[in-house]
Amino acid sequence: MNRKRFVTLALILLFSIPSLTQTGTKKKRPLPYEYGRVVLNNNSTKYEMAPVVFEHWIHRGKFTCRVCHVDVGFGMKAGNTGIRAADIERGYYCGACHNGRTLNDGKPIFAACSTRKLTYEDQKRCDRCHSVGKRVPSDFDFATFTAPLPKERYGNGVDWEKSEELGLIKPQTALAGFTPKNPLVVQKDFDLNAKVEGMPDIIFSHRKHTVWNGCELCHPEIFMGVKKGNSHYTMVDISEGRSCGACHVTVAFPLMDCQRCHAKPVQP
Amino acid sequence: MLAAALLMTGMALAQIYLPPAPPPPAQYGRVVLDSHAVRSPGAVVFDHWLHRSKFTCRLCHVDIGFAMTANGTGITQESIRKGYHCGACHDGKRVVEGNVVFAACVSDQYVPACDRCHAAVKRGVRKYDYQSYTARYPKTNFGVDWMTAEEHGLIRPADELAGFVPAKPRMPVRGDFDIAAGVNWVRPVQFSHHKHAVWNGCELCHPEIFATARKSAVQYTMFSNIEGHHCGACHLKVAFPLNNCAMCHTRAPMWAQQ
Amino acid sequence: MNRRLRAIVVVCLLTGFMGPGTVFCTSQNGAQSTSPPATQTPAREAWQREFDRICSRTQEAMSFSEEDLASLVQRCDALAPQIEKLDETRRKVYLGRLHMCRGLYAYVLESKRNPKK
Repeated sequence: MNRKRFVTLALILLFSIPSLTQTGTKKKRPLPYEYGRVVLNNNSTKYEMAPVVFEHWIHRGKFTCRVCHVDVGFGMKAGNTGIRAADIERGYYCGACHNGRTLNDGKPIFAACSTRKLTYEDQKRCDRCHSVGKRVPSDFDFATFTAPLPKERYGNGVDWEKSEELGLIKPQTALAGFTPKNPLVVQKDFDLNAKVEGMPDIIFSHRKHTVWNGCELCHPEIFMGVKKGNSHYTMVDISEGRSCGACHVTVAFPLMDCQRCHAKPVQP
Repeated sequence: MLAAALLMTGMALAQIYLPPAPPPPAQYGRVVLDSHAVRSPGAVVFDHWLHRSKFTCRLCHVDIGFAMTANGTGITQESIRKGYHCGACHDGKRVVEGNVVFAACVSDQYVPACDRCHAAVKRGVRKYDYQSYTARYPKTNFGVDWMTAEEHGLIRPADELAGFVPAKPRMPVRGDFDIAAGVNWVRPVQFSHHKHAVWNGCELCHPEIFATARKSAVQYTMFSNIEGHHCGACHLKVAFPLNNCAMCHTRAPMWAQQ
Repeated sequence: MNRRLRAIVVVCLLTGFMGPGTVFCTSQNGAQSTSPPATQTPAREAWQREFDRICSRTQEAMSFSEEDLASLVQRCDALAPQIEKLDETRRKVYLGRLHMCRGLYAYVLESKRNPKK
């Protein structure tokens, strides 16, 4: 009896070993106009609405990251903020701009959400955001919007940083009613050494990051260490969404563009 | 009774522990794409051998962004017409090796030209034939020896698509190194970064397929390879198959001498 | 002074006090393509003004002394209970923002107390 059990156990183990690997395949690459897309479904399907599709590219061209993620208070991961229709109707979160009154280039931005009974017109308005699985016309076309902007590899295919430097986009750094007055003070750049010999060293630019993010977006939640050189950020951590990966996996230029960070020539 | 049970166990184990038998050379690297869309004119049959002779793996799988598994990319008629995916070349304008590449997905209704790609059950619609096209390339038992063909200049795969993504100077390639086998009765595998970087650059493998820089941190085993992870991401269905042991286990005999 | 004139003077004074500093902060650089409508933004409440005062200077945090930073952290902690009493929406929004603001000041304070190598 014991021997049979042993053999059975051994066989089960033998069969189960291969299924333990989870990593090591290539993920699907979103297209340039899909990169930065966030699908939000905290409550939508509960109320029989399609989940919300949020496109980063159109908002990136008009606002800094800080305005939305610090001043308005959006979280950095889908579902973390806990946005409800009531919040939006009261003028918070998406409702900070999507209120039917705030103007963009002279035109009022469509109001989002409605907690009262929906009319037919309301339904069409809802579909503008609750658009998973639907073909919804947008006011902005990706190709037209990004045509004049300098191109880069991967991600959205756009060099957002250079676009801002050249003045081709003018992202707002403050939102009326949400941003307390904040003079812009830029931090100094410093180097980060790559851990792998043979990989070019990384030049981390604080200046380029604070232009978009300010301070609170990264410190201390994403980057906790106060002493330079004490924290170790490995590529595995980053590709799992920690430290640099909080932005540089799904919204800012992706990790596949190695030379954007590993920019210093290899020391002989 | 016992013999039957042992035989069944042996066959089952073989499924897990040995790589599957590859298809014949003409069909090796064939990918059938079927989104099961209602209005689709049939599944798409994509044969790697024709594109491999003209382009590096990196160009399609990194710059253009094709996935490494069938139906993993989400290619639609719309994305092709916008100039992404297949539409990066198949737009009726791009010139490759002196020929204008035919435009894909131009018609909303079915036309015979659709069959050039949507060829799942149709015959006689392809322009190029495997035997005649690859006649002058060196072969292994499993198909074309692309590595040797490229080394001898018989093919010159392009690594850049003009106007698609901006080109960047290449990063230095790490040197070749040994990969220790998981068991000490198999000799270490000689892995060549150079030979891989010719076709893949850096970004195709790093960091998604091979995440860590420290070799000891993750175990790459034959089990994971056979499941399509790590080396098996390519060397099961497109690059030379895992059945071709001697290509990696170059130190003969494969097992270590104690 | 007659009553009508007095009323007008009072209204002007009130508008003068409430007008600036309530809301219309302009962007620091570039054109402002999103502009608020004229009828928007009610007056800031006392806790909101305190929040604006504390959290408007995060960009300058590196230039503050340790005492200033410690005091800012304390003020954040003192403000938190007032925000906890608000309605659900504003509590959610402002607690999150206060958390980021306090976190930054605490972070900079710690980096000053443990000087970099």
